[in-house]
Parts: sequence; C-alpha cells; structure tokens
Amino acid sequence: MPVLQHLCQVLYDSAFGTAIRESDYAFSIIESVHVLGITVLFGTIAILDLRMLGLVLRRISVTRVARTVFPITWTGFSIMFASGFLLFWSEAAKNYTNPAFRIKIVLLALAGLNPLIFHTSVYRRVQEWEVLEISPWRARAAAIASLTLWSGVIIAGRAIAYY
Amino acid sequence: MWLHTWFMALGHSSLGHAMQTSKWDFAVVEMVHLLALAILGGSVLIVDLRLMGLILKGESARAIGRDLSRLLIGSLTLMIISGIALLSEEAGKCYYSPAFRWKMALLATAVTFYFTLHRRALLQTDKGIPTPWCRVAAVVSLTLWLGVGIAGRAIGLL
Repeated sequence: MPVLQHLCQVLYDSAFGTAIRESDYAFSIIESVHVLGITVLFGTIAILDLRMLGLVLRRISVTRVARTVFPITWTGFSIMFASGFLLFWSEAAKNYTNPAFRIKIVLLALAGLNPLIFHTSVYRRVQEWEVLEISPWRARAAAIASLTLWSGVIIAGRAIAYY
Repeated sequence: MWLHTWFMALGHSSLGHAMQTSKWDFAVVEMVHLLALAILGGSVLIVDLRLMGLILKGESARAIGRDLSRLLIGSLTLMIISGIALLSEEAGKCYYSPAFRWKMALLATAVTFYFTLHRRALLQTDKGIPTPWCRVAAVVSLTLWLGVGIAGRAIGLL
C-alpha cells in the first residue's frame, strides 16, 4: 500500500475520524461551516479579480481593494482549511481513491500557486498601474486564472459526494 | 390550495423529471447554486462591512453599493433560477418542509430589506461615518442573508 494511502487509512481509522463519521450531525455541521468558509474566501477574492478586470469598483485603486479583501479572504481560507481537514480526517480512506477529491487537491494547489506568481511578478510594480480602471493583461490573466481555479475547486469539491 | 398545486406541477414537469432521474443534472445545478452563493455572499459581506464603517472608510458607500449590486442581483438571479430547478427535484417534500418555508420567508425579508431600508442607509452614509442606525441595517442585512443560507442548508438535513 502506498505510504499516502496508508496515512489516509490511519486517519480514517483513528478514534477522532470515526467519531465525526459516526456522529449524527458532526459531518453536516462541519460541512456547513466549510461552505461558509469558501463563500467568504471566493466571494471576496472574486471582488479583487473583478476589480482588476475593470468590472467593479473601478474608482478605487487595486491596492486599496487588495488590502481590504486580503484579511477577509485569509479568514475564509482558515475556516475552509480547518473545517476541510476535519472532513478529510473522517473520510480520508474514501477520499484517497475519489477522482473528484484528487482533482480538487490539484486545483487547490494551482489556486495557491497563482497568487504566488502574481505577487512576485506584475504586482511588484502595482504602483504603476493601481489606479488604472482596467489592469495590465498579466494582472487580468491572474484574475481570470483565480476565478477559474476557485470555481473549479468548488465544483470538484461538490462532486466528491457523488463518487 | 393554489400554491400546493404549483409545487405539484413543478414536481411533475419535465424539469422535475430530469432532476429526479439524472444524478448529474442535479449535481450540475447544485454546483451553479453554490458558485452563485459565493459571489452573493462576498458582495453582501463587502457592502455591509463598508456600511458598518469597518472597511474602505472614506470611499462612497453609495458607489460601492451600486457597483456591487450588479454582482448581488446577478448572482441572486442565478440562485433563484437554479433554486427552482433544485426545488423541482422534491417539490412535494419542500412544500411541507419547515426549513424550506423559513428559507423563503427569510429570503423575501432579505430582498425587501435590501431594496428599501438597506438602500436608504447606503445613500445616507455615502462618504461619511455611518450613523448607529446604518450600522444596525448592516447587521440586520448580514443576519438575514446568513439566515437564508442556514435555513437552506437545513432543508437537506431535516
């Protein structure tokens, strides 16, 4: 058995994972919190993406919008990550072989890589373009990638339950 | 009762039939519903935090509200359309579900509030510091929308 699969099985068999799985309400409640977390995350980062595309809040500079949404986005991310880990804990062995789960993890990694590239490239010279109503094409590309990848994460996440 | 007749007709329509028989039809509509929810939630959050005076101070609350209202109304429309399709899957059951009735009542209240008192609070605040009443309007708005979400989640659980 691959080491990763073994690890998933250990989590799945643990007392805590079993307790979540066998409780009447735990899984549903954690899942609801997870949806709330991703709503806060995606809903706020989408506003920054749409700002860079020139679709909303054109009069406010990109840096002002970014500084406003980042703390909220990170809060959403923390809620999503913590609740997501608990959900994974209780279903790890099943998730390991679930194609939707695997796609979700890949999309999540790409969605995380995107801001890393963005912040070390075009965003470094943001002072030059922050007040433009429509951001330069590299920023727009990052915005479209962000919208697409996070949508993909949500879609794949929902699909986990269907496999 | 006429409302019950409507629910039954929706459940027996070709839309209802497709949603009841195809697993993936239902799944795809659910995904659309979730994506629209995220956009709606984000817009509500940003507008209400501005109305509370917590973010984007000095920027016009009126302009932010107007700008994000396009996102809010667009995603709300998408949620209602996908919601009707989801409803058609088990319309008969939803008609009697307390969670569904709560959700509809809260949704009607949230939408009415958004177009009346909430709108007035945004206009009144504009670039200034919100009055206590405007802050209350923001809290009421957040609570109502969150209530719609929680009641919606409960439909599948109760």
